[in-house]
Amino acid sequence: MSYLRNRGLDIRNLTVEYQGGQAALKSVDLFLPEHSIYTILGPSGCGKSTLLRSIAGLVKTYHGEISYNGKALPEQDQVLIGLVPQNYGLLPWKTVQSNIRTAMRISNSGTLTKQQQEQRITNWLESMGIADLAHRYPLSLSGGQQQRVAIARAFAISPQIMLLDEPFSALDAITREEIQRIFLGNWNSLPTTTLFVTHDVEEAILLGEKIIMMTSNKEDPLIVMDNPLFSIKPEEKRDSEQFFQLSKEIRKVMQEKW
Amino acid sequence: MVTKKRFSHLIRLIGVLLGMNLIWYLLYLLIDHTILPSPLDVYVSLFHLEGQEVATHIGYSLSRVFVGVILALIIGMLIGILMGCSALWNKLLDPVIYLTYPIPKIALLPVVMLFFGLGESSKILMVMLILVFQIIISVRDGVKAIPQNTYDVLSSIGAGRVQKFWHVTLPGALSVILSTIRISLGTALSVLFFTEIYGTEYGMGYFIMDAWLRMDYKEMYAGILLFSLVGFVLFLLVDLCEHKFMKWRKSV
Repeated sequence: MSYLRNRGLDIRNLTVEYQGGQAALKSVDLFLPEHSIYTILGPSGCGKSTLLRSIAGLVKTYHGEISYNGKALPEQDQVLIGLVPQNYGLLPWKTVQSNIRTAMRISNSGTLTKQQQEQRITNWLESMGIADLAHRYPLSLSGGQQQRVAIARAFAISPQIMLLDEPFSALDAITREEIQRIFLGNWNSLPTTTLFVTHDVEEAILLGEKIIMMTSNKEDPLIVMDNPLFSIKPEEKRDSEQFFQLSKEIRKVMQEKW
Repeated sequence: MVTKKRFSHLIRLIGVLLGMNLIWYLLYLLIDHTILPSPLDVYVSLFHLEGQEVATHIGYSLSRVFVGVILALIIGMLIGILMGCSALWNKLLDPVIYLTYPIPKIALLPVVMLFFGLGESSKILMVMLILVFQIIISVRDGVKAIPQNTYDVLSSIGAGRVQKFWHVTLPGALSVILSTIRISLGTALSVLFFTEIYGTEYGMGYFIMDAWLRMDYKEMYAGILLFSLVGFVLFLLVDLCEHKFMKWRKSV
């Protein structure tokens, strides 16, 4: 096995069972190269979230292997994971700034001085376009703003892996498009190895280098689709012929397999 | 805008106060008996009370309330957090809380006095008893209401148990405490009044009942006003704390 093949997140034969013994995931294989972003599409109940939770170390018992750059994930603490859940997961009693600061302290960006830490927080708030909200509390923000904070927090701890679990599905269409653009812009400037779960076909095409489709039948292997649109400028994606073709293709798979 | 709102709030409070005094005065004219002196006479006797003596009475009452509240907070937080965090403890203690919560705590006053005597400890204990169940229940529910996702983000970046407790569970528990205290403080004060009838010569309850026994009704009403004032100031204090520490709840 070549050295390059190993750089990235490698999931082999992952099987997770719910508490009742029912299978949540069955023999899932997935390889996500370092510095790439894959989107995962799937019907509800297909195990998308379970997959992310297993990688994030939130599922304690599973069979199979999850490794990053050749090292098994749960055993080694060096792999930092930035999680962005659908409901933002912000601490309501801390300001935007201090939410990010808390995450940075826990993840131990300990090599940074206090000043560098504050600088980094400010930088990420600026890149997410929410610098003016630094001292506000999450409950006083709109859903879109809160999700920007959650994404800023995920980037700010400079994780090796970023996991986003339907982060934009609670947002209205216009907010969603804007935040997708901002997210992609930031991702391009700091390409973190990322898995992005969504149930929105367009979003999957807009953001994913490859699109992973999970089906309701747990026995089926994952369907991996190349996304020729990934290198196209974001603003041109929606209007291109390929976009239309790809979404048609995906919808066909959805009709057959979901 | 805010100051204007506050100002009109103040105006309304003063208006209500004046209105109540007016009704009182009308009743005084109507009843025309020593059992209801005129508001003016009561205010006059209020200002003639000996400051030192009144301060002692208020001091006793306040310290009983504070110690009771603090004890209730410590015990209530401990049990509440335990029940909120551990399903096992919740299962064990929930029936206990469920069965003891509806007992009117004031009915336990004679029992508490039998066991702990007529002194300070039984008074503090009564205040504590009133508050502690409320606190246990709301702290437990407050901890349970924290979405699992909040912990997940911290777990995924490697937060330990202590860090999760410190950043999530404890603030979650604290967030419900002030509103609980506000709700139960009124009851706690009423119970305090009862306990101060027995076995003490200090406290607002004693002061009022003593005036009543001496048939000094003006002083009795003055005492009631004073006691109400103490309650009002305590409520203001809770409001102030809420304003200071609960900023994050407001969606401004």
